[in-house]
Amino acid sequence: MAEALSLLQTFFREAWLALAGALLAFVLLAALAHILRVSSSAVIGANLWVAEGLAGVAGVVLLGLFAFLGVPQIVKAALAAIPSGGGCGPIGELGSLSAGIIGGLAALRMLKALFVSVVSASVGGGGSMAQALIECAEALFGMLLAALAMPLSAWFLGAC
Amino acid sequence: MFDPVMEQILIIARDAWGFLAGLLVIVALLGGLYYVLQGTAGAAFGGSKMASAAIIGAVGLVILVLFAFLFLPQIGEMLKNFQPKPPF
Repeated sequence: MAEALSLLQTFFREAWLALAGALLAFVLLAALAHILRVSSSAVIGANLWVAEGLAGVAGVVLLGLFAFLGVPQIVKAALAAIPSGGGCGPIGELGSLSAGIIGGLAALRMLKALFVSVVSASVGGGGSMAQALIECAEALFGMLLAALAMPLSAWFLGAC
Repeated sequence: MFDPVMEQILIIARDAWGFLAGLLVIVALLGGLYYVLQGTAGAAFGGSKMASAAIIGAVGLVILVLFAFLFLPQIGEMLKNFQPKPPF
């Protein structure tokens, strides 16, 4: 069980690093695309486009900061709330395995959602961005439910 | 495991960065030329407002390009330093 958890967590960690690198690249490209839009709209005198472009640059940078500073803290806090030892024997092992997998998956899902929102913000798509933020909330809610599930099942099965 | 994919993504991102930066330079040069034309035309027939608007526009364009080429790499370095380790 511990080996399976270690293998899965290694896989998730590598996926996290790759996704974070791609997110950084896309944040910079999106900001540059917005600045190109700002400069071209300034040349033709489109004030609204200039304002939209500047707001887009700020939004993309803020999304990147949230992804790199906010998400890890949220995941750490949620992981601390998941009880890994909800019983003893196989239930305890299952608890620690599921806590690790749920934490890794939720963290990856939140980062993926922010990646989608950065890509969406770079092309000015508001709907996909809202959907991505909903996904973040869903991942958090799932982690909270998972925090309740293991002690409840241990109590229901009468383990330890 | 994800390194080959990341390398491909970074190659594409570098190409896209070079393309966008080149496009920005071209747009800025064309915009600057337009503002110079506007300013000289305004100065030629005594349109002081037109000339001053052209000068302000050209300065704004230079500031935008400087922002893109000086500020964005710094933002990138900052975000790179903030790049988090896996929190699980």
